Amino acid sequence: MSTVSLTVNGQAVERDVPDNTLLAFFLREELGLTGTHVGCDTSQCGCCVVRLDGTSVKSCTTLVHQIQGSSVETVESLARGDQLHPIQQAFTECHALQCGYCTPGMMMSALDLIEHHDEVLTPEVVRSEMEGNLCRCTGYHNIVKAVVQASHVMKGARG
Amino acid sequence: MNDLKLSAVGMPLQRKEDIRLMKGEGRFSDDQTMPGQVWAWMVRSPHPHAKIVRIDKSSALAMPGVLGVFTGQDCLDAGLLPINHSPVPATQYDIKLRGRGNTEVFVGRHHLLPADKARFVGEAVAMVVATTREQAFLASLSVDVEYEVLPFVIDTELAAQAHSPPVWEELEDNVLVDSTYGDPEGVDAAFAKAAHVVSLKTHIQRVTAVTMEPRAALGVYEPLSQRYTLYAGSGSAVRQQRELASVLGIEPQHLRVLSLDVGGNFGSRNRVYVEFGLVLWASQCVGRPVKFRADRSESFLSDYQGRDLVTSVSLALNEKGQFLALKADNISNSGYCCVSLSPLSKGSGLITGNYDIPCISLRARAVYSNTMATQAYRSSGRPEVTYAIERLIDKAAAELGFDRLALRRQNLVPAEQMPYTNAMGLEYDSGEYAANMDRILALSDWAGSASRKAAAQARGKLWGVGFANYVESSIGTPKERVDVMVLAERIEVVIGTQSAGQGHETSFAQVAADLLGVPFERVFIIAGDTDRVSAGGGTHSGRSLRHASTVLSLARQALVDKAKELLHALAGAQPAEVVFEDGVLKWPRGAQQWSWFELAAWAQSSDLEPSLRTLQVRTDHEMHTPVFPNGACVCEIEIDPDTGALTLMRYSSVDDVGRCINPLIVHGQTHGGIAQGVGQALWEECFLDSQSGQPISSSLMDYGMPRFDNLPAFETQIVEVLSPTNPFGVKAGGEGGTTPALAVIMSAIEDALRPICGPLPFEMPATALKVWSALNAAQSHSPSQSKSLPIRQEASTPH
Repeated sequence: MSTVSLTVNGQAVERDVPDNTLLAFFLREELGLTGTHVGCDTSQCGCCVVRLDGTSVKSCTTLVHQIQGSSVETVESLARGDQLHPIQQAFTECHALQCGYCTPGMMMSALDLIEHHDEVLTPEVVRSEMEGNLCRCTGYHNIVKAVVQASHVMKGARG
Repeated sequence: MNDLKLSAVGMPLQRKEDIRLMKGEGRFSDDQTMPGQVWAWMVRSPHPHAKIVRIDKSSALAMPGVLGVFTGQDCLDAGLLPINHSPVPATQYDIKLRGRGNTEVFVGRHHLLPADKARFVGEAVAMVVATTREQAFLASLSVDVEYEVLPFVIDTELAAQAHSPPVWEELEDNVLVDSTYGDPEGVDAAFAKAAHVVSLKTHIQRVTAVTMEPRAALGVYEPLSQRYTLYAGSGSAVRQQRELASVLGIEPQHLRVLSLDVGGNFGSRNRVYVEFGLVLWASQCVGRPVKFRADRSESFLSDYQGRDLVTSVSLALNEKGQFLALKADNISNSGYCCVSLSPLSKGSGLITGNYDIPCISLRARAVYSNTMATQAYRSSGRPEVTYAIERLIDKAAAELGFDRLALRRQNLVPAEQMPYTNAMGLEYDSGEYAANMDRILALSDWAGSASRKAAAQARGKLWGVGFANYVESSIGTPKERVDVMVLAERIEVVIGTQSAGQGHETSFAQVAADLLGVPFERVFIIAGDTDRVSAGGGTHSGRSLRHASTVLSLARQALVDKAKELLHALAGAQPAEVVFEDGVLKWPRGAQQWSWFELAAWAQSSDLEPSLRTLQVRTDHEMHTPVFPNGACVCEIEIDPDTGALTLMRYSSVDDVGRCINPLIVHGQTHGGIAQGVGQALWEECFLDSQSGQPISSSLMDYGMPRFDNLPAFETQIVEVLSPTNPFGVKAGGEGGTTPALAVIMSAIEDALRPICGPLPFEMPATALKVWSALNAAQSHSPSQSKSLPIRQEASTPH
C-alpha cells in the first residue's frame, strides 16, 4: 500500500492502494469510473484505452503508481452534460457502436489519433493506426467512417 | 398492417442506447458492485479427462482472506441440481434429433462443479471465495486436487468411433444423436442413374465467440427475504432465472436476474454458465455478495464454443447439370456435455441450400468429446451447411466443366415456387434467389472483375473471386410476451427478448411508435430484469424483431380495446363509437378525441377503481412458423505468392431481411456478421493439441481475430421481400452476414490458387502459412507449373 495522487478528468484524486494496482482497476474499482473496460489480459483489445497526459495508453497494463502526478482522461470526460463530444456525435451518427463494450477505448484511441495527425484522417490511416483496438460487433466498417467524420469535424472546428 | 402509416419504421434513426454507452454509463456485468462484495476464483482442470480422486482444501483455507473452498461433492451435499439446458430443439419446425435407434437423447448431467471427473481442460473443479480477487487466485493455487488421468478424445470423427474413451459412462460410446432423414433408397436410385456424382468431405472448425466483455457475474443472497439476485449478462434473463432457480431448488420468483448491458453475445451467452449458479450459492454460504470475473484466457477455455462439424456430402447431377439428389453425413461435436443441439438441428433442415434438390438423405450425429461444450454461434448451424453445399457446387462446376454461376442459377428454387418445401420438409416462406444473384453481380461489379484481376496479376499477385448464395432459417423459442404501459408522458414496453448490441431499444421503439401513432422519442423499451420481465424467449436465432413486432401488433389491438373500455367508463362512449386513427382515439358522437397520453393522464387522475386507472395491457403470443432470410455475396482477394499473405480487396453482400425496420442497424448487423464469418475462414480456430488435449489458442495473442487492418470496407445492400408469416413481414438481419462468408472466402481462395494448386488442398482457417505451403508444395511437385505464377515486377512494393 502506498499513496497515489492523480488528476482524473480534471479532479485531483488521492488514494492508498496496493503497489500492483493497475490503472484500469483503479479507475473502475477505486473511483467508480466504470466506462473504462477490460477485455483481455494481454494488452490486445484496447477496451481499456484512456489518455495519460494527452496520449492514449492501455490502462490495463499501466501501474497506477507508475504515473504519480499525471493527468488521466477517461471516456467520462468527453461529453459536457448533454453536449456530446464530436467523436461521440460521429459514433452515434455512423452507428459505430453496437454492444458498446469496446466503444470507450475506441473513442479514446481515435481522439489521440485525430489530435496527433495534422491532416484529416483517411480510412487507410484509421485502419492502420487503430489495429490495437478490437471490436467484435461492427466489422470496423462504421467505426472507420465515424473516426474519419470526427476528424473532419474536429479539424474544421479548429481551422 | 396495410393501414399503418409508417414514419419511424424504415428510418435510419440513431440508437437510443448509444448515449449511455458512449458516456461510459453502460451497465455491464462487472460494472455492478455491492458493499461487502467478495470474489470467487475457479480451480480449473489441467487435464482433458481425469477422475477427481481427492480434493484437499486445507492449505487453501488457511490462506489470507479465504472465506470458503467449494467442490463438486459440496454441491451434491447442498442438494444443488444439474443445469437443465433443454438442449434438444423442440418447436414444431425444428428437425427432431434422436439417439441411436430412435431413443431419447442422453444428456449428461451438467453440475455446477463435477464430483466424479473433469471432462475438458479448463473445467472448473473447485471454487475459492476470498475477500479480494487476488487472495482468491492465490489460494486457488493451493487447492490440492489429486487426479487420475484417463484416456481422452477431442477429435470429432474419432469421438464418433465405437471404442473412443467414453466421456459419460452411461452411454456405450460417445454418440448421443444418430438420426437419419429423407429417402435413402430414393437417393441411392438417383445416384445410380446420375451422369455425375461429386463429393466433398470437410471440417468446419471450432471457433469461439470472443465477446469483448468477458463473462462476469455478481451473486447476492439476502437472508431476510431469502431472495437471490444475479447480475450477469446473457441472452435472456428469464431463461437464466428459470434454469438457475431449478439448480438452486427454489421457485423462480425467489431469484431476480438482471442482464442489463451485454457486451456481445453471438449465441455464447444464451445458456447458463456454471459460475452464475456458483456465485449465487456462494453468496448464501459466505453471507456476502460474491463476484466472479473471467479473464480472457478463462473465456477462451470455458465460454461456450461454436461450429465443429464434420460433413460429408455428395451431389448427383444429370448430364445437363440439374441436381437430382443430395446425400449428407454430418457429425457435430457437442463437447463434454450437451448444452444445445441447435447447430446440428438448424443445419440439418437447410442442407439443400437455395437449390431445388428433390431427393435427399441425411445422417445427423452428435458426439461427446473432452472439449468445452459447443452451442449456437452466430447463425447456428447454417454457415456450416451453406459451406458444404456452396463448396460442393464450386467443386461440381470445376470438375464437370460447368460455369459456377450458371450451374447455380439453373438449380435455384424459383421465386414463383414460393412458398417452397425443401426435401427436409422446411417451407421457405419467400425469397427471390435469382434476383439476388443479379443484384449481387451488379453490386460487386462482377463484370469488371477481369480488369481487376489483370491489374492484380500485373502487380505480381494471385487474384481470386468467390461467390456464394445462402438461405437460412429463423425459428427460435416460439413464445413471447409484451407488457405495454401508457403513462402521461411516455409509453413503456416491457419485453422478454433483449439486446446484446442489436439495438432493440431503438428498433422495437420504432415499431411500437408507428403501431400506436406516437413519436419514437416517447417509447421506451425495458428488458433484462426479471422483476419487470415475466416471460419471453430471449435473443437467439434471429427471432427478436420478428417476435417483438408480432406481439406488439397484437398488443396494439388489445390497447385500443382497453382504451375503449376506459372511454366508456370515463366519458360514456360506446366502444363501437370510438375509432383509433393516426395515433388518436376519436369519439365523433361526443365530438371529442384523445391522444394516448391524454387518456392515460385522465384515467390516472380519475376516480375509477385503482385497478382500472391504468392504460396497460399484457399480450402473449406463440409463433412457430419459421422464416427464411436469404441472399448472396461476392468477395475478391489477392494473395502474395512469396508469403501466402492474403488481402481482402472487396466484399459485397445482398441480404433479404424481410421488412427492414432500421437500415442503419441492419447494415451494421451485416457488417459484423461478415467480419465473424471472414474471421472463421481466415484466422480463427480453437486449436487443441491432439497429443495432450491442451488448448493452444487461448489468448488474443494466439487466436486470430478480425481487426481494423485485415478487413476491407463492405458493400451491403438490403432487400425487402416481405415475409407472409408475420404482420410486418420481418425475416431477420443479424446472421445473414455470417452465413455465406465462410463459403465465399474459400471460394475466392480456391479461384486464386486453382491454376497452381488445383482443388483447394487445405481446410479453414486459410492462414498465410497454409496458403504459402500449398503454393510451395504444388510448385515442388510440379516444377513446370511454377511458370504459371505471375511474374513479380521489380517495381512492386511489398506490403
